[in-house]
Amino acid sequence: MSRHIPRTGVRRYVNVVNLGGLLIAGCATLPLVWMASASFKGPGEISATPPSLLPEDPTLGNYETAFVRNGIGHYFLNSVVVACVSTVLILSLAFFAGYALARLPLRGRGAVMTALLMLSVFPPIALLVPLFLMERQAGLLNSYPGLIVPYVALNLPFAIWIMRNYLSGIPGELEEAAVVDGAGPLRTAVTVILPLARPGLFTAGVFAFTATWSEFLLALTFNGSDDRRTVSVGIALFTSQYQVPYGVIFAGAMVATVPIAVLVLVFRRSVVSGMTTGAVKG
Amino acid sequence: MSSALPTRTSKTPAEGGDGRARTGAPPPGSARPGSVARRRARAGWFFASPALLVVAAVTVFPVLFSLVLSFCEVRLDYGGLRLGSPTLGHYEALLTHPEWYRALAFTLGFTVVSVFAELVLGTLVALVLERLGAARGWILALLLLPWALINVIAAQLWSYLFNGTYGAVGWLCEQLFGTQPDILGEPVPAMAAMVVVDVWKTTPFVAIVVLAGLMLIPGDVYEAAEIDGAGPWTTFWKVTLPQLRPIVAIAVLFRILQAFGIFDLPFVLTQGGPGTATQSVAILGYRILFQNLDFGGGAAVAVTTAVIVMGCCLLFLRVFRAHVDEEGRA
Repeated sequence: MSRHIPRTGVRRYVNVVNLGGLLIAGCATLPLVWMASASFKGPGEISATPPSLLPEDPTLGNYETAFVRNGIGHYFLNSVVVACVSTVLILSLAFFAGYALARLPLRGRGAVMTALLMLSVFPPIALLVPLFLMERQAGLLNSYPGLIVPYVALNLPFAIWIMRNYLSGIPGELEEAAVVDGAGPLRTAVTVILPLARPGLFTAGVFAFTATWSEFLLALTFNGSDDRRTVSVGIALFTSQYQVPYGVIFAGAMVATVPIAVLVLVFRRSVVSGMTTGAVKG
Repeated sequence: MSSALPTRTSKTPAEGGDGRARTGAPPPGSARPGSVARRRARAGWFFASPALLVVAAVTVFPVLFSLVLSFCEVRLDYGGLRLGSPTLGHYEALLTHPEWYRALAFTLGFTVVSVFAELVLGTLVALVLERLGAARGWILALLLLPWALINVIAAQLWSYLFNGTYGAVGWLCEQLFGTQPDILGEPVPAMAAMVVVDVWKTTPFVAIVVLAGLMLIPGDVYEAAEIDGAGPWTTFWKVTLPQLRPIVAIAVLFRILQAFGIFDLPFVLTQGGPGTATQSVAILGYRILFQNLDFGGGAAVAVTTAVIVMGCCLLFLRVFRAHVDEEGRA
């Protein structure tokens, strides 16, 4: 008689959908929890079997090694410089290009947009040889501009797509009012459109920063020398003589992941809208 | 070709018309709107050209440069790059090299298997997320973390989990099946491991895109299916999936191109090994370039990769457009 009511009570929480949700959340985060936990494990515990989920004797030794001996702080600063400068340049160029493509009577807009879409997923390996030789000739290898220039160019197409899609959704009346008031295109863009474009800039900015922060192939080939390495190259090349120093690698990885994780979680709406309403790119 | 991207370009005609109405058709007798239109058109190119020039300088020009390099004798000495006489030697060497075919086969296989798995799992995840209540926002946020993780870190993390002596995955296999496989030491398990890592990292992206597609399906379509007596299974195959096709197709195209260029994952996780089992085209190109210092050969890899990628792109867009047309007529 009373069986019906408690069962619906339980059914409300324990059902296929909620279990599925739990499983999804677990699969997504368990490896990350494992990494975070391993970064606090000592050298013995990290290679123990059976593996332990949480460190029994938490230590900051790996972090100390990562900073003092492996110079992760230095790689981190290199990444900050490269990613920040690239993102600012990408956003300023993409804003004007996106505005032009969304709002101004450009001939050949369709062709430009299709070309940009193709270029935004062009595999970098196809550009590696010529870019390497060009940078070598220009003396840009192992310098900040040596990475910033290709990063800006390779991430611009997608940023332009996002800006263009966002800006074409802004109602035209404000812009028309500015034109009637005699404002030129530049003043209209900066004083009227720019303040409205903020959500689009956030989306484009998060994607640009994440992409430049994570990039590996060009960073490895162009800035291989120790003083200009970015975090991704630094972490890939962390090795010691006898075995892979996973504890130190994960300590470095945690340091490199925190800024991106915070950025993505704070701007998660922007990220999701970039994935879906901008051109779709992973 | 632009019309092959229905979700994007469907906006363009409306805007184009909008722009013309505003600028191109001045009221008779007034000269001012015409000059404004011209000014705006000039401003358009003025605004767009810095970005487009930067993109062209770093993408279009290098591709052309690659093309030249791949057909020339190339020597690198202290004076810089020397181009010699024209030759087909780089392509001949590449096309007769079994390693290139192996790399191509591995890359294609990896691309097909991982994108397919991501599509299936991503759709399942999206269907769960769609039905979730308050927890959806939280789970979406958690899903963004693997997606945003630096590839190199994901590879290091999983190389630890797959480690032959103390990896958690090996330990789990031992508990479940009684044997501990050397996952990264055998060709087929190593390939499977790469797929697992890629699926772990990119399924969230596919799921979020599919979820967005699910949200776009109007409710009355489902109501109509219900009135027609369709069960949940039939509804999924006959209603949900066809409606998802346009948005998913573009996402799949991007995933294919990205998976085809894979470099970070094999570089760190397997170093292309064991042997050359997980050597992707990008890894092969990198090796030809920086281990053999063969710039002509590297350029040949670059050009062939670009041709294959562009070919796949055009083919995919054509096939996809054909589907849309069928749908439109039906």
